[in-house]
Amino acid sequence: MILKTAYMGEVDIETKDILKFEHGIPGFEEERGFVLLPIEENSIFQVLQSVQTENLAFIITSPYAITENYNLELDETTLKSLEIKSENEVAVFAIVSLKDTLANSTANLKAPIILNITNKKAKQLILDNEAYSIRHQLLLQSIKG
Amino acid sequence: MLVLSRKAGETIWIGEDVEIVISEVKGDQVKIGIRAPRNIEVIRGELRKDISESNTEAVIKNLDLFKYKKK
Repeated sequence: MILKTAYMGEVDIETKDILKFEHGIPGFEEERGFVLLPIEENSIFQVLQSVQTENLAFIITSPYAITENYNLELDETTLKSLEIKSENEVAVFAIVSLKDTLANSTANLKAPIILNITNKKAKQLILDNEAYSIRHQLLLQSIKG
Repeated sequence: MLVLSRKAGETIWIGEDVEIVISEVKGDQVKIGIRAPRNIEVIRGELRKDISESNTEAVIKNLDLFKYKKK
């Protein structure tokens, strides 16, 4: 199917690639479907585009690409709701808040997006952990993208 | 919104398996105990609000930082 997007033009997506956020994400509770779109070749960044809303999209990245020692233990609630059976089927992303430069941009490490790549069920998990910041600054030298 | 008055030590049940216990009331602070199944997430309101605000702030306004060209 053809999906109209505000920033990437028209893209051809397949229904099976739609990520299913059963409860949306905080602030966007009604947005249940998103797709991942590449932004540039070999980039650590991707676009998380809403399927419902043309001009709703986020930049996401791997938390492991922008910080060391990102340790995530998935709670039982998450394992159950996303039907995760093995850690091999888990992908983790952080939402990036773009500023005037990439170096000044920040990523939300406190509320990562957890995706079950097998069944495409996803959610934004809120970690009650002081070690992770909602606005973790991206450092240029660590960006390989 | 349903509003109930409770005293310390009193409880409220929500459905069959969530119990809220008012454990202590001291000045403007209330200590609340929550007994709920593990599949129910319990998050402080201000944390959820922070995440919600951060998500709103992160919505893409343009992709000028990237070389991506619209088709």
